[in-house]
Amino acid sequence: MIGTTSALIAAAALVVLLIAWIRADKALRDLPLGSEERQSGLEEGAELEACPPEFVSQIFSSGDVAYVARLNSPELERQFHHERNGVALLWVRQTAAAVDRIVRRHVEASRRSRDIELLTEARILLQYAQLRAACALMFVGIGLTGAQKVRAVALYADSLNQRIGQIAREFDAGLRAQEIESAGPS
Amino acid sequence: MSAEVKLMPLQQAYDDLVYRSLSRIPCELGRLIYLASTREYNTGHYYHEGLADRFGPEAAQKALEIAHRQAFYKVSAYSLESLVEELDRYLASTKEQPQECLRAWQKLEPYRVAVPADVNPTVARLFTSNLRLALAILRFRQKPSR
Repeated sequence: MIGTTSALIAAAALVVLLIAWIRADKALRDLPLGSEERQSGLEEGAELEACPPEFVSQIFSSGDVAYVARLNSPELERQFHHERNGVALLWVRQTAAAVDRIVRRHVEASRRSRDIELLTEARILLQYAQLRAACALMFVGIGLTGAQKVRAVALYADSLNQRIGQIAREFDAGLRAQEIESAGPS
Repeated sequence: MSAEVKLMPLQQAYDDLVYRSLSRIPCELGRLIYLASTREYNTGHYYHEGLADRFGPEAAQKALEIAHRQAFYKVSAYSLESLVEELDRYLASTKEQPQECLRAWQKLEPYRVAVPADVNPTVARLFTSNLRLALAILRFRQKPSR
């Protein structure tokens, strides 16, 4: 009996997650692909200017929600949530794509390096896994509850993204120094 | 943009642009639209005749590009409430009928061309999304039933 109940609960949870994922995915597809997105080359995985932290805070803030709520228009509120969730989902997608690119580049650089620090590699791997998990959580969370409810996760993910970028940049600088040293006059 | 652009003419061109041209425009959104209008659609290059005559075409282009990006990030950082007020000020400052202008903006979305090249796509989306919302809010405010 307990086994059947647990299975039912697990199945219900899975269905909820699936619905949330589909909703988030639909919200992202429903929004018109702006020229701003195309010209920035997000689709091609080009090098992108990072999203400044103050904008991350603004996208997930509750200040605009409160303002729209004061206007007393269900239609405007619906439009606001639709628009803002679309922006938030784009940020999640951009963050996931950016960290994938950083880690891919880091792996390539690591292959060229003579002395790999296991601790640094483990830190990057751990933070990468955390960030990807946070992105998946936000993707579902935005579809289920809206952008403002996942604000804390978004700010955490943004700080993780910056930290991974910083570690990878330091590693790259070290590697370049190594390569210059080995190419120099003997 | 080549590295030949010397810092001094660039700084002078930028200061001239800010104090002589941009300071006459009453709101930040107006400055952004003005700066975007100095960009050639076909090439993406910025051009301002007076500025180019005084400081050279390269310094003028770079100064316009920098000012455009700054104005864009400033407007994008506004809260929705501030953007609604800013848009209201901008529409009032144009010579057109505000209601007609509002309708055209909602229909044609001309503000899309105000996005500079190579800015962060999320910020660009936030900008266009907030402007769509600000326009809807202004239309809602103007409804006679309220």
